[in-house]
Amino acid sequence: MMKTTAAKIIFALLFCAGAAALFRPAGGDMARRRVVKYWFVAGVKDNIPLCVQLFNAAQESIRVVSTPIPWNEHEKKVLTAILSGDPPDVVNLVTPVPKWAARKALVALDPAITRDHFDTTRFFPSLWQEMSYRGRTYALPAYTGSYALFYNRRLLREAGLDPDRPPANWQEIQDYSRRLTRRENGRIVRMGFIPQYGTIETPLIIAFEQGARFIDPAGTRVQLTAPEVVSALQWERDFFDLYTVEEVSAFMGGFGYGNQQGFIAEKVALFINDNSFIDQIARYHPELDYGVAMIPAWGEGPSVSSAGSWWLAIPRGAKNREDAWTFMKFVVSRETQLAESMSRDETLFPVNRFAANDSDFLGMHRYMAIFSRQMEQTRSKSIVPLVHDIFWREFSLARERSLRGVMSPEQALGQAERTIQAFLDRALEYDRYVDARMETTEF
Amino acid sequence: MRALNKNTVWGYLFASPWIVGFLLFGLYPILVSFWYSLCQYDVLRIPQYIGLRNYRELLFEDHYFYTAVWNTLFYTLVRTPLVIVGSLLLAMLVSKAVRGVRLFRTIYFIPSIISGVILSVLWMWLLNPEYGLVNSTLQFFGLQGPLWLIDPRWSKPAIILMSVWSLGGGRMLVFLAAIQNVPKHFYEAVEMDGGGWWARFRHVTLPFISPVLFLWFIFEIIGSLQVFVEAYVMTKGGPLNSTLFYNLYLYNKAFDDFDMGYASALAWLLFILAGIITLIQFRVSRKWVYYSGGVGK
Repeated sequence: MMKTTAAKIIFALLFCAGAAALFRPAGGDMARRRVVKYWFVAGVKDNIPLCVQLFNAAQESIRVVSTPIPWNEHEKKVLTAILSGDPPDVVNLVTPVPKWAARKALVALDPAITRDHFDTTRFFPSLWQEMSYRGRTYALPAYTGSYALFYNRRLLREAGLDPDRPPANWQEIQDYSRRLTRRENGRIVRMGFIPQYGTIETPLIIAFEQGARFIDPAGTRVQLTAPEVVSALQWERDFFDLYTVEEVSAFMGGFGYGNQQGFIAEKVALFINDNSFIDQIARYHPELDYGVAMIPAWGEGPSVSSAGSWWLAIPRGAKNREDAWTFMKFVVSRETQLAESMSRDETLFPVNRFAANDSDFLGMHRYMAIFSRQMEQTRSKSIVPLVHDIFWREFSLARERSLRGVMSPEQALGQAERTIQAFLDRALEYDRYVDARMETTEF
Repeated sequence: MRALNKNTVWGYLFASPWIVGFLLFGLYPILVSFWYSLCQYDVLRIPQYIGLRNYRELLFEDHYFYTAVWNTLFYTLVRTPLVIVGSLLLAMLVSKAVRGVRLFRTIYFIPSIISGVILSVLWMWLLNPEYGLVNSTLQFFGLQGPLWLIDPRWSKPAIILMSVWSLGGGRMLVFLAAIQNVPKHFYEAVEMDGGGWWARFRHVTLPFISPVLFLWFIFEIIGSLQVFVEAYVMTKGGPLNSTLFYNLYLYNKAFDDFDMGYASALAWLLFILAGIITLIQFRVSRKWVYYSGGVGK
């Protein structure tokens, strides 16, 4: 009896499978094309990104099928897809390329770049450097954001400062901030500048401007206690001479998004953010009288910014590499970059220098040229790829310890350095073990 | 014999979805995680066997391990008695046969159905030092509220405070059922002997519901040791690592740093810790848990 039941079940399953095969969607022109599976992190307006629409319209033999993945936990989704052995052909991610490349998760693109004489000088240099790990290239930059200093002209005027002369260096940031900060009944109601507000780490920028490298050239010894880093943390600590961390944190607790954002709500007068912030101001506070200037310099030195980019890469195990590469080249071309950058609700900055300096793009906003200039002077945040997250967690903790006065900047950085070094040593040992036993996937 | 065999086979066949599920998604990951705890392994590359080094580094070199253990034990030891006693008091309150008691039970129960993430976001606003309801209420009574999640001294109490939200949930309902199951004639006996409400509670209610209390003590301790969502959503472990709970550290190691071997070792140490605590509870329970049917003696 069991045998007959089992046979019935198998028959039923086969029947279902057959029926499903019969009712497959009818194929048109699109169905005959070779498919490139493309995963991108959602957050943009369209379900199908413009670059995919343009590519599919221009192509006859390839079709890109795009899948938006939610920002939350997106790394883990890509990770499991690679582990499953059936990843998408192209991924669009933002976390540092070396973090993935060091784990052999991406296909090395050098053979394709050489074969096609692909011009890499089109990219902003710091973005292009981010795409490689140990001399090999694993990705193409796709979009970025360029950071600069936003300043509230009305508040500057109100504080008796010249609205046409924004602070040019970090000393001036401190001086301006003192004059711009207001208290009512002992509570802060407005601040000039807040070093911890925004996505860019102020002491990181200050350290970059002084030439800090954070790690030795071989990439094996962490150098957090270098004088340039210590003085950057010291600057931040001095800044807090007039305020306590707690009262500033409590003040920041009232900030939110949209018109509750600190700068847009005119609770903060000086703020570093990327170019897409222009669109947010236009949407939530169009009358705001503001200006944009280069990021403050350290003394007489250069103004430096930190930038990362969205990038495109072919994950290990991807099936259709050749067509994936064709699509990637299309996305970073000047025309696509221009079309994409200008079509969004919130402007993304092109990685292609020709697109970024195109008169159409620069004409989008009176301050766009400043962002373009700042892009030429950026440094990468990808410093210790093997222990990237530990590095940034420890750096933040060192800042917090120094700011709250738990430790001096030197002590705090020293402790962070020891912790990062311990985990880096572990990671390097594992890296050597794997390198002797596992190949990098070539294009 | 033949019929029995056949029935056994059918029995297993019907239970097979669960058995297969358990073997594949329960037992296999547990065993494999033990193997990985003896390795360096970042998921994307091959594992490297390193013996007990992960355990040694955790126990003797990693200061965050002890920070995480201390934070988690503090949370567990303070929170568990609070929620058990709180839910018990609430259950006793709603066990009275007064008008509208069903409505109160429902009202108390409703908050507990909200998911952890939403609850955390909600409490971030409630605990906001400037605009939050908690501090505004304190201010109404002339008290200066603390900075809660921003202050390392107050961040853990703040997260414990969030637990009041769940007092009226499933725990209260189970306690309520247990209280209602206490045979009435015992109360009558106490009353005849001249005992008051305390004697009724101490000598009748408490012994009768002690198995249920015991069970919930175990549940709550294990649950508290696994505290994660609140810290993940609200504080990310800060300020100054004051809310770096065990599972948050484990999560950071596994999914931010991709250090799966280290994270597996962390998981096994937590398993051992929870096992020891539960064992102690079972030992101690002999002194205070009463089984009316004599079971468990």
